[in-house]
Amino acid sequence: MAHEPAVIGASLPRKEDARHLEGRGQFTADITVPGMLEVAFVRSPHAHARIRAIAVPPAAKGRVFTAADLPRIKPIRVATQTEGAKSPLWPPLAGERVRFVGEAIAACLAPTRAEAEDLAAAVSVDFEVLPPVVDAVRERHGGRALVHESWGDNLYLERVLEGGDIAAAARAAAITVTREFRMNRQSGLPLEGRAVIAWYDHRLDELVVHASTQTPHMMRVALAEFLEIEARRIRVVAPDVGGGFGPKARLYPEEIVLAALALACERPVRWVEDRGEHLLAAAHARDHHCRLTAYADRDGRILGLDAEITVDAGAYGMWPQGPYQEAAMAARNLPGPYAIPHYRARHYTVATNKAPLGPYRGVGRPGACFAIERIIDEVARAAGRDPVETRVLNMVPPEAMPFTTIAGLRLDGGDYRASVKLCAELLDLPAVRARQQRGESDGRLIGVGFASFAEQTAHGAAEFVARGAAIIPGYESCTARMLTDGSLVLMVGIQSHGQGLETTLSQIAAHELGIDPDRISVRHGDTESTAFGFGTFASRSMVMAGGAVARASRLLRDKLCRIGAHLLQCDPAAVRVADGAVLGPQGQVAFAEIARIAHLRMDGLPAGTDPLLEASATYEPAVGTGVFSYATHGAVVAVDPETGFVELVDYAVAEDCGTMVNPMIVEGQIRGGVVQGIGTALYEEIPYDEQGQPQAGTLADYLVPGAAELPAIRIGHLHTPATATEYGIKGMGEGGAVAPPAAIANAVRDALAALGAEINETPLTPRRVLTAIAKARAAAPGAGGHPRAERA
Amino acid sequence: MTRIRLTLNGATIEEEVPARLALADFLRERRHLTGTHLGCEHGVCGACTVLIDGEPARACLVLAVACDGCAVRTIEGFRDDAAMAALRASFHRRHALQCGFCTPGMLITAHDLIRRGKAGGEREIRDGLAGNLCRCTGYTNIVAAIAEAAAQLGASRHGA
Amino acid sequence: MKAPAVAYVRPQSLDEAVAVLGQGAGEVQLLAGGQSLLALMNLRLAAPDLLIDISRLPELTAVGEEAEAVILGACVTHAMVEDGRIPDPSRGLLPRVAAGLAYRAVRTRGTLGGSLALADPAGEWPCVFAALAAEAILCGRAGRRSLPCAGFVTGIYETARAADEIIEAVRVPKLSAAARWGYVKLARKTGAFASALAVAVTDPGRGHCRLVLGAAGGPPLFLAQTAALIGADCRDLDAYRLAVAADLAAAADRHFEEFEMQLHTAAALRAIHQVLA
Repeated sequence: MAHEPAVIGASLPRKEDARHLEGRGQFTADITVPGMLEVAFVRSPHAHARIRAIAVPPAAKGRVFTAADLPRIKPIRVATQTEGAKSPLWPPLAGERVRFVGEAIAACLAPTRAEAEDLAAAVSVDFEVLPPVVDAVRERHGGRALVHESWGDNLYLERVLEGGDIAAAARAAAITVTREFRMNRQSGLPLEGRAVIAWYDHRLDELVVHASTQTPHMMRVALAEFLEIEARRIRVVAPDVGGGFGPKARLYPEEIVLAALALACERPVRWVEDRGEHLLAAAHARDHHCRLTAYADRDGRILGLDAEITVDAGAYGMWPQGPYQEAAMAARNLPGPYAIPHYRARHYTVATNKAPLGPYRGVGRPGACFAIERIIDEVARAAGRDPVETRVLNMVPPEAMPFTTIAGLRLDGGDYRASVKLCAELLDLPAVRARQQRGESDGRLIGVGFASFAEQTAHGAAEFVARGAAIIPGYESCTARMLTDGSLVLMVGIQSHGQGLETTLSQIAAHELGIDPDRISVRHGDTESTAFGFGTFASRSMVMAGGAVARASRLLRDKLCRIGAHLLQCDPAAVRVADGAVLGPQGQVAFAEIARIAHLRMDGLPAGTDPLLEASATYEPAVGTGVFSYATHGAVVAVDPETGFVELVDYAVAEDCGTMVNPMIVEGQIRGGVVQGIGTALYEEIPYDEQGQPQAGTLADYLVPGAAELPAIRIGHLHTPATATEYGIKGMGEGGAVAPPAAIANAVRDALAALGAEINETPLTPRRVLTAIAKARAAAPGAGGHPRAERA
Repeated sequence: MTRIRLTLNGATIEEEVPARLALADFLRERRHLTGTHLGCEHGVCGACTVLIDGEPARACLVLAVACDGCAVRTIEGFRDDAAMAALRASFHRRHALQCGFCTPGMLITAHDLIRRGKAGGEREIRDGLAGNLCRCTGYTNIVAAIAEAAAQLGASRHGA
Repeated sequence: MKAPAVAYVRPQSLDEAVAVLGQGAGEVQLLAGGQSLLALMNLRLAAPDLLIDISRLPELTAVGEEAEAVILGACVTHAMVEDGRIPDPSRGLLPRVAAGLAYRAVRTRGTLGGSLALADPAGEWPCVFAALAAEAILCGRAGRRSLPCAGFVTGIYETARAADEIIEAVRVPKLSAAARWGYVKLARKTGAFASALAVAVTDPGRGHCRLVLGAAGGPPLFLAQTAALIGADCRDLDAYRLAVAADLAAAADRHFEEFEMQLHTAAALRAIHQVLA
């Protein structure tokens, strides 16, 4: 029986706060090791080139390493089961060719980073510049160049996902709407960049790597494979990590190189990425192009969707999963939370001479949501209906759940229509419409827009196998160890980097064991002390690790009860746990005492019970196809038609993630995700020019939302507990970032409705807004009239 | 190399530093005060914010040599500060941090806003935080925490 | 990124600074607030051999007041102006501009003289000082001279300052009681560089009327025809629109894209609106 009052559902303040509030967090760059050398990389200034020669100044010999100097490194390669998928070799230090600006060519070592950069500047590389591939849509079949010569084209993968009969839908449609959508390339930009320290521990005969990563166990798998070292001789630790969001859930060549350097030089080595390197060479994100046609009846009911999706995946596939899931996820999620009977999505994952694309909060879903949620607004307009009503009309109703969408996603449960209604209430839609009618004294135009989505979370083996994934992260693990004094340590394979799992996992164990969460330590991020786990990504940790903690805690609880009942000399069925003790019909015995017996006084144990109080468990949800949280987001904007500036006046989220272990932390994840989504919608972009040169190299060019640009984000909750997980929890960490581009673009569309302008490309910069307005005016002169010429 | 002498978190220190060494690197690598973080090294993100002679500054855009004769205060130097204690408590209560990387810079900026009476309302606080980026929290809770601490400190202070 | 190796000296007087500036071998840079220079050095876009730290020179942090003007030392920081710690000759314009410049932690170090000497096309102070008819007082080996701020900036990151000169102060004439000003900075984020900048100052008491645009791809751009309309107290919005368009078209050395024209036009008209309101 559980501890009262309820600790699951309690907004407990976080245990991890104390160190960060004091500036005592320990991020990778905060760690120094005696004798450590700092590393700076020589990186390619060209998007595509052959390396003819690398000239290292003689004085630098022994301090500059090229691929030839580290022969033990095997090239990175993603293994894929998917038929027709191509997977290039990626040498961590470039060999005879470079394929994106920023690709690492040589590592330079020196006592300080400044001196290492001096060294890097002194290395000269002789290049034969080659034409680059920069347009994923136009160059997917080759053209001016091939990124990987042996391929014959620039396609990692092309696929078709279809269901029903799209031609029939086209024939039956009273309304046909076609649009092109573009979600431009950006960075995940965690505030802490990447960093790696590596050294050889001679006492333990193992390579030790500290890295800012979301997936330490997987990094060990990679190091073992690409350096050909047994896993038992590698330790990977993710200390405090300053944000991950997806880009740190992939292997980087720098990580392999640092490990190899530690072995080659027999000195500890450290690499701390700077912001310029991050914008160049850390995983880029999004970069979707979608040409979408929606077929609907005259009421706005969607009969079918026909899509062509192109993802610009950059020059190499990131290990372990490769680039394939981005476009595939977009295709699977394009039908959204809607009951659409006919579907076809052709998707192309294209190689270009740009930085490799990696997962970033939402992965393929923000791009898909942008397309479907924008087009559903256009269908509504064509039908002369309200966009809110049209959503509701098309949504899968709760009574139809579980419902498998035409793209194969099995929606488990929830009331999507209620989320639309709740969102409208949170924004006070009638008041917004009234304000819109009144007009603004400064001439700006008010608009309101919505976007809905369902987010597949905590999917298990079945889903990953269906995707042809190289690895199957369908479970998580936990070892629960009670120590000699009754205090508890939970060792988990995930890696908390802001999600508060040190607190929420303690809450689960506290619930199962009746202990105070403050008497529980959570160890994560260290391959030494935790059983294998995949790490934190894909909105999976609370369900998967939480489930493993629950299971391990119950095993422990059962043993505590057995021993406790023995000490209390009563029937094991008659005891329960509460307040850190086993309670029997007459009397109780504290866990501390049971722990003392189990470790130091084994003579007190019941017959047949072994010493120690430790239990390990893995967990996979009962349903492998995922549990779906969902939300409707609403944005209110004020658009200045003279400058194209868009101000976000209000933003609301009506969401359902089932049972919330810690509502305060859930809301923090939502708000953080929303603001990143706002960044995608209005600010963040890394454009590339015709020569494949990235155009955003600093935070002066790459704009990220600040507090001054944002309203307070309002949140309302619905509660449909999952039936396939512990406590009915669903994952929810990514959802916040999925809908904002669509909601904001719809709001801008609404604001500019009289002008007929629409912007279907993110970010919605002033330039794009002004260009759209100019285009709309040129197409329909006189429409919408002059914006207000007078100011009151 | 240049010899500098400065007050760091209340203690006088003397060291020889190369001219190009940024204050942030001096603090982190020479003095092992790693609470000051580096997020961009071009003055935009605010993770490196410290106090120099009582005023917030970007430790990444100040040379250590230029701090000769100055008083520098980092997040580690606020352990006994009542206003900072109130801020820490409200940040904790309000869940105003997630990964913690922006937090020291955020706290020092907040401390300065309160000291200068610029934490009166949401708009003022948001504008005051323009120079401190956070990628995790979405800012809502940070703004609320600062408003709460400012109110508490204002209520317990007699006069401004 | 870490700055390249550099030497550093901190002279104790302006004369000593001028002397060091004159004799330095290699590339010498003056270091005031360092908020732009050190960012460029961290990015390895600037690699001087010697930095002369002038940020604490008493001559450069001094502030003087005359009957008709305020003399602001070149190393007065933006924060000092923002906080009202200097006498204000501009009837509120200077503090308003300072408050919107970058971020507080940058404003506590960055200086008026540093901004003027840098001449970033999106910089606020070159435009504002030009609009206020201020003068830059320069100190070099040959002695002192003063140059009008209008025309001081000659190109992108280029000014009329000679290599051996240090900006000592900016002399800002006091606006009369009847003066009016308008200031518009359009930026995508609070504290970011301006996408468009317009400063309008009209002082009938001095027969002075200027409308200056910044972030316009070059030195501050004077909209002369439009300014004449302000001076004439014109109230016809369409006339202003036409004048702005004519002034922008006359800026032959600038190549504005369509959306940039719209931003500059909006900024200019809004600054005018503030003046007329």
